[in-house]
Amino acid sequence: MSGPLLEAEGVTKRFGGLVANDAVTITVAPGEVRGLIGPNGAGKTTFVNMLTGFETLDAGSIRLGGAALTGLPANQIAARGLVRTFQVARVFSNMSVRENLLIPFLAAGSPGGVREGQAKAADLLATGTLEHLAEEPASVLSGGQRMLLQACAGFMIPAVRLYVLDEPFAGINPVVKDALIALIEHENKSNGRAFLIVSHEMAIVRRLCPRVTVMIQGRVAAEGTLDEVARRPEVVQAYLGSAAA
Amino acid sequence: MSAGLTGGVGAFVEWRRVAAVLAMAAPPLLALPLFVSEFTAHVLAISAYYVILAASWNMLAGFTGQFSLAQHGFAALGAYTSGLLVYHLQTPLWVSIPGGVLTTALGGLLLGLLVLKMRTIYLSIATWAFAETLRITLSAAYEFTRGDLGLSVPSLYGHVRPVVYYYTFLAVAALCLLFIHVMLKSPIGYFMRAVRDDPMRAQSLAVDITRVKLFAFVASSAMAGLGGALYAHYVLTLTPSIVDFSEMARIIVMVVIGGLGSFIAPIIGAPPVYALNTWLAAWGEWSMVAFAAIVIGLMRAYPAGLAGLISAVWGRRRSGKSFL
Repeated sequence: MSGPLLEAEGVTKRFGGLVANDAVTITVAPGEVRGLIGPNGAGKTTFVNMLTGFETLDAGSIRLGGAALTGLPANQIAARGLVRTFQVARVFSNMSVRENLLIPFLAAGSPGGVREGQAKAADLLATGTLEHLAEEPASVLSGGQRMLLQACAGFMIPAVRLYVLDEPFAGINPVVKDALIALIEHENKSNGRAFLIVSHEMAIVRRLCPRVTVMIQGRVAAEGTLDEVARRPEVVQAYLGSAAA
Repeated sequence: MSAGLTGGVGAFVEWRRVAAVLAMAAPPLLALPLFVSEFTAHVLAISAYYVILAASWNMLAGFTGQFSLAQHGFAALGAYTSGLLVYHLQTPLWVSIPGGVLTTALGGLLLGLLVLKMRTIYLSIATWAFAETLRITLSAAYEFTRGDLGLSVPSLYGHVRPVVYYYTFLAVAALCLLFIHVMLKSPIGYFMRAVRDDPMRAQSLAVDITRVKLFAFVASSAMAGLGGALYAHYVLTLTPSIVDFSEMARIIVMVVIGGLGSFIAPIIGAPPVYALNTWLAAWGEWSMVAFAAIVIGLMRAYPAGLAGLISAVWGRRRSGKSFL
């Protein structure tokens, strides 16, 4: 596949009078790790919701590997390889950590592949240093471990091509943070998965993402390396206010 | 993604354990009626009937998180469908009873579709309204249903010796529980529990939550319908009072006392609750007060029900640690 992996074109969303996303166009190449940054309220999560089928588009289109995703239900989008996490970690609290990992594998259509799923889950538990908690209910996990489990679950979908992580590093301790970074780097380098990472943690974005897209007030304001976009006056103004511009 | 819903049925079942539990439970349950009076055998038979209803509701509310208040309605729908087929069309029972199951399965699908986008209290109210509508219809269409006069139906075996019906309800309850166990130990069971815990997260992980919910509605309704249809041919007279809310309340109490969302809840919840109901009935209206007091006391002490109590004691014995 030589073309782009993700093509989001003119994606628009209005909530009453507010334009949350105004003709957002973002293209991600296969195997790319892209950062998506911007001040609070810029419309990043709304964009993620539309990408993954949790919000309808008022205008625009979304394609993954050339195939249209617009209008598909969220579960089908995930099964086709566009998977997401949530800003506030969502896990199945009354199910064990291992069961949490098996669900996406079973759901994404691997008939009879239970053994393969078990092996894959064991691998991820080891990489994510969650092994000792495998049989515990997810409700006993700390905030950071929930975030990590949430991220691991997405990798269990065999077809994952683009993984959208919404603020995966917010409020988690440094050890878990390192485990998550290692997991992303591993899945990117060994399995060629692409990522779109929404984050405010600039040090991590600089390390993981060769290119970033900046959203301000519902629009794409800039795109380039983090250092390039950080010099753009409109980006500086959006983050620091006009006095600093 | 149909493979995701039906693929790998029974993938996680440990058949040896299932066989061991059945082998241990069967002899005492089969021998039980030999040592009791006819009245007690009757109480046992109805208890087994309530195990079916409680298990079916536990599958829907406890494992899939759909807190429906229409389970007694589906039991009644199964009972009346079979009864009316015999009454109006002189259908043999081997046709009318499956007819009742089929009707309730379709009814479950219809109700499931209606409440698909509803959550929590909204779903409860809508399903309750469905059951009330059924009750009023059964009462108002008396020219067809005989309403409060009661619909007479023939017995299953040409007699009503309680012991035989006890074995019948016991066998059906065992089959229903086995079905539920196999479902829970299959991908579909994982999806049901995922939908209960967080439907949005389940959807984001490729689970087709629409089909999972509809499956739970259809399967649990059909199960209640089967129980109801058999019940009809044991009690022999049907009135709309079987759709009274107190029936639903009884099912809820059985499951919640057993431990909502625990597999054994209906087994350990239904018989004691029904026995207690019967025993307290001697006090008339006051029996409800005594019953409520017992329920509140137990819930206050053990919110996870008898299943929680058992696992707490079991856990303490095994690990030697105190429990919270």
